[in-house]
Amino acid sequence: MDSSKLEAGRNDTSPGKRDEDYLVEMVDIHKWFGKVYALRGVNFEVREKEIIGLVGDNGAGKSTLIKILSGFHPADRGEIYFTGKKVHIHNPKDAKKLGIETVYQEQALAPHVSISRNIFMGREPTTHLGFLNKKVMDRESLDTLSKIGLVLTNPETPVEALSGGQRQGVAIARVLYFEAKLVILDEPTIALSVKESRQVMEFIKQLRAEGISVVFITHNIYHVYQIAERFVILAHGEKIGDIKKEDTSVDHLSEIITNGRVA
Amino acid sequence: MKPIFLITSGTVRTPLLLIGSVMQLGQKILTRLLSYKVSFTLIAFVVLLLIFGFLTPRHSFIKPNNLTALAKLTPDLGIVAMGVGTLMICGEFDLSVGSIIPMSSYIFVKLLEWGAPLYVIPFLTLLTGALLGFLNGLLVVRGRIPSFIATLGTMMFWRGVLYISSRMMPIGIRAYLESGTWLEKTLISSIAGVFPVQIIWLLFFTFILGLVVHFHKFGNWIFATGDNKTAARAMGINTDMVKTICFVIVGVLCSFMSMIQALRIESFAATQGIGFELKAIASSVVGGTSLMGGIGSILGIFLGTLTIQILENGMILMGAPVFGINVFIGVGIVLFAILNLYVERVALR
Repeated sequence: MDSSKLEAGRNDTSPGKRDEDYLVEMVDIHKWFGKVYALRGVNFEVREKEIIGLVGDNGAGKSTLIKILSGFHPADRGEIYFTGKKVHIHNPKDAKKLGIETVYQEQALAPHVSISRNIFMGREPTTHLGFLNKKVMDRESLDTLSKIGLVLTNPETPVEALSGGQRQGVAIARVLYFEAKLVILDEPTIALSVKESRQVMEFIKQLRAEGISVVFITHNIYHVYQIAERFVILAHGEKIGDIKKEDTSVDHLSEIITNGRVA
Repeated sequence: MKPIFLITSGTVRTPLLLIGSVMQLGQKILTRLLSYKVSFTLIAFVVLLLIFGFLTPRHSFIKPNNLTALAKLTPDLGIVAMGVGTLMICGEFDLSVGSIIPMSSYIFVKLLEWGAPLYVIPFLTLLTGALLGFLNGLLVVRGRIPSFIATLGTMMFWRGVLYISSRMMPIGIRAYLESGTWLEKTLISSIAGVFPVQIIWLLFFTFILGLVVHFHKFGNWIFATGDNKTAARAMGINTDMVKTICFVIVGVLCSFMSMIQALRIESFAATQGIGFELKAIASSVVGGTSLMGGIGSILGIFLGTLTIQILENGMILMGAPVFGINVFIGVGIVLFAILNLYVERVALR
């Protein structure tokens, strides 16, 4: 490892002070993939009940940062604090235990399996001997879906029969039911129509109303601008901006992303 | 549908609306029916029953002795197909069943020959199947090779081993097992002289697997694993374990069936099990199981087995050459695979 490179990549804000207000604090995160220096000392914080837009061009390091937080990759250097306490996230299970849930487009659901079976996949409520408690599954599924504003009547419907927006709703309802504290949405609107995207953004608002923080990763600044309160902009593995919504505009944000620096 | 409602003038309105709602009801029922692919299997089964019932020479298909023969043969295929179909829902194939069957049968007969206590023999035989299934599972999940290839390998391997060790000689069991033991009574006797007990075993396994696949959380893991492995894993399901267990289930069922078969034909035969892998897959496909995993039902596999079995039996009775039966089974598989896809598309529209 080249240490001079490392210094050069270091972010200006000094790590050390742990703010209890933060739900999650990632400090000085570095990541190499072979010779590729994917993250160069990124600091990233999420407050309670906050919607953050994590934006940046392809290869900026958004997904890598989030995969470290959700336990898919280990960081090569850096620390993660959760509600002020230092944590080690080695795998997705560790992240889930903390209440960090990630919703990936198209990866979250089994298309031919019913809504309720999808929501409880891997965490099925059972009666005895491990038999499914379908009553609970069906009732809780519909209840949770209606909490995020998605009214469906038949929990037996296979997910494939739903619209893209509704499918995202099912994936989001699942993390809500299992009491996530932070939900990471990786490009939740990428394959959706305008109407469906709007629906998904309503779900996200409902999540925050339930007291959950949201990290919204996207290319689409127009979508994220509508609902995020703060924007974190990455470029070439570095954080180049951390801006509150009132201090920026869609044009300003896209300019930063295109130029790769704050103008 | 819609054009009918466009004509809404005056007196014609009421009858047209009536026709409309009847059609709507018809469509509703059809959609409901379509979402249960099992109904197509049932239709195919009934149609074949009628065809063979009427068209076989002297109605030999529905003569008691043929029905008894069918009742004895169907569980052979059915018990194996239950396992193979469940594995297919899980997204994997097992081509080695045709070799697991004679391997278990060989071990079973050899144990009899060695004079092992009768009460341990069934357990050791079932253990053989479980181990062979476990090995398949291990190859697939640890070796990360498609099950089609892994089990093609084990199919060839075990059959080779079997041919070498048995020198392809049949071994009669009568020298080592007197007739009328409890084992024979449990596995192949007849109730009231006509009703083969194997049918009870088939129904038993159908019931148990039906419970597991459709009502147990493990069943939900099977569907999730077969439908979207990435999602299943992300939700904390150990998909490798699920697959391995399904392979073991196939192995155990093959061993169980091999004992029934060996007792019925009163010997081990090196040719046992040949072609079963494909007939079991055929039964599953005709029963609505998806070749891609994630879709299927135990009831469907059960009906699929009956359909394949009477198709084979009926064609023979109608004078089709025995080796030509595959033509019809082949057509059946392809037709049902196409039908399944079509039904899925229609049902989701």
